[in-house]
Amino acid sequence: MSEELRKKMAQSIIDGDVDTAVALAKESIATGMEPMDAISNGFVAGVNEVGDAFGRGEMFLPELVMAGEAMKAAVATLDPELRKRGTERRKLGKVVIATVEGDIHEIGKTLVTIMMSSSGFEVFDLGVDCPAEKIIGKALEINADIIAMSALLTTTMIRQKEVIDELEKEGLRGKFKVMVGGAPITRDWVKYIGADGYSEDAVGAVVVAKQLVGAVD
Amino acid sequence: MAFATLLTDEQVKRTHEASLEILENVGLLVRNEKARSIFFKHGAKVDPESHIVKLPRAVTEKYIKMLQPTFTFRGRDPKFDKTIPKDSPVIVTGSSAPDIIDPLTGQERRARSDDIARIAHLINELPAYDMFSISTLADDAPPGQFTLARLYPATKYCVKPIRNTTKDMDDIQAIMKLLYAVAGGKEAYFERPFVTHHYCPVVSPLTMDQLSTEAIIYFSELGLPVYPTIVPNAGLTSPMSMAGTLAQGNAEFLAAAVLMQMVREGTQTIYASLPTVADMRSGAYASGGIECGMLHMAFAQLARFYNVPCGGYVGLTNSKINDAQMGYETGMSVVEGILGGMDMFNMGGLLDALKAFNFAKAVIDDEIAQMLKRVKRGIAFSEEELAVDVIAKVKPGGSFLMEPHTVKRMKNEALLTKLADRDARPIWEKKGSLDIEAHAKLKVDEILSHNTQSLLSDEQEARVRAEFKDLIPGMLEILQPQ
Repeated sequence: MSEELRKKMAQSIIDGDVDTAVALAKESIATGMEPMDAISNGFVAGVNEVGDAFGRGEMFLPELVMAGEAMKAAVATLDPELRKRGTERRKLGKVVIATVEGDIHEIGKTLVTIMMSSSGFEVFDLGVDCPAEKIIGKALEINADIIAMSALLTTTMIRQKEVIDELEKEGLRGKFKVMVGGAPITRDWVKYIGADGYSEDAVGAVVVAKQLVGAVD
Repeated sequence: MAFATLLTDEQVKRTHEASLEILENVGLLVRNEKARSIFFKHGAKVDPESHIVKLPRAVTEKYIKMLQPTFTFRGRDPKFDKTIPKDSPVIVTGSSAPDIIDPLTGQERRARSDDIARIAHLINELPAYDMFSISTLADDAPPGQFTLARLYPATKYCVKPIRNTTKDMDDIQAIMKLLYAVAGGKEAYFERPFVTHHYCPVVSPLTMDQLSTEAIIYFSELGLPVYPTIVPNAGLTSPMSMAGTLAQGNAEFLAAAVLMQMVREGTQTIYASLPTVADMRSGAYASGGIECGMLHMAFAQLARFYNVPCGGYVGLTNSKINDAQMGYETGMSVVEGILGGMDMFNMGGLLDALKAFNFAKAVIDDEIAQMLKRVKRGIAFSEEELAVDVIAKVKPGGSFLMEPHTVKRMKNEALLTKLADRDARPIWEKKGSLDIEAHAKLKVDEILSHNTQSLLSDEQEARVRAEFKDLIPGMLEILQPQ
């Protein structure tokens, strides 16, 4: 019975079916299944399968992101139960993410947010056109592990450097790992501004974030 | 020449209607307050809470009627002035790449102001380029000189029309001082504004930003040349269908164009776009995809429907090197563009989806651009060109080699390419078995080692230096192996 439920859970993630994933999470609570069991042996199995299929080019980006959304919804449903039992899922780390000041390109940042959230990071998305003070302020407020910044325009990518410079100036640079991303971002830029990591895409961003918090799978 | 089309007239009309519906019912999120108030004053519905601007059909139609049929680019030297569509195709470099492939090491690195000096000279010399859109960023720009450090070396080594973008209003004030200093005063500059300003004020889907929108309004108010580019990426920022991307992209163009007319009636603009279909296997930006040119063909049809000149970024490649992928991605999309009736091709010099400038690529693109111009010249047609009398004279089995009809045309009928190899194999081997990149690099070296003096007079230079004490040198130096 439980085995069948776990299989259905995995399938709901593969299908990117938020409603079914939430319904199955509720069902597992009703039947008394350990929420960590549901996550680790049910939903995560689906996430892994989707990740592998995406890597092989068999699943496409929308399917990957829909799976991420389903995972996020399932975990959110199980969250109160986890808290109740004191077995809260270990977060990989806290991330503050934003598109930098002057830039309102959103989609890449949002994809990274979804993929990080579904991989176990607690992500605080500050949206677009976000000034340095706001990014740094939030990172301090929640005691973030990672600051992640997106920029699509070559005229706004300089803002990523300004945030890092500001961290240096305030003596806060050592407190946070800094990740950057966006279409014009290259290795040389990352080296130049002194960021800790970057990725060309959302899947890679999760890998980099895990490395930065020392949670390599 | 008759242009190739992918849409029927009915489909163009329906796309136009769909765009009007989008503008009227969905509207745009307009982040810039000034733009919202301009839209409001001219009959748009503006929601003060959500900042959504909706354009009633009658309003959009009223300002569409004001769109101008031409756009003029001016150079510092008037002989380089171009007006589209009359002088189409206008060939422009691709711009604002963060990186450059170092000509000595072949490695990707951050671009600097001295790179821009070299590129400016190269583009000034290469015959097919009509305008220099500043190819890279300048990593060595001192604080407050983000764009100055790009525009100054460009003006120093290029007298063709220059296309430029800026970061914010402070940046604009700085470059205007530079332009006035070069021209010899504000009035002189306004008589011959040799920089065309460019922005992407509409971020797909249907959002107008703060700074680029502000800049478009600013230059439209002044009556200085400026135009926007619309950049939908199907599957991510516009519908996955090309038709849907056209409807949304057209609505986005109309919103920007209407705003410019509201600011100043009769402002010239260009229906410019950079349309792509995302590679949904990974979300990769497929600027080298064949669909970019297809969408340009359709946007060109829409532009003709509104009687406004068109163009945009095309001939782009995802390849990192000057290989066959670079060649076919560049070549196929620009041929789509020229056959489809694009007037302006922002196409030169960039590899890796607009991320890196490459000198050899800029030279190869110059030859491709010459081919496009040859296509546009078309097939000359007259009784003399038909040459029935010459055919009769030569008779079956004869030769046309020494006919006056041949001698008269032998230098012009075909484009005599300078890079493409047409030698017999033994000769090609004897000359070193060079591939296209090697040929192009020789051309780069030749151009960069000749006539590299500054094109600013001592007076101009003195005025510029008086204005900006700590300006970068902006000198063209030949890179020497360390």
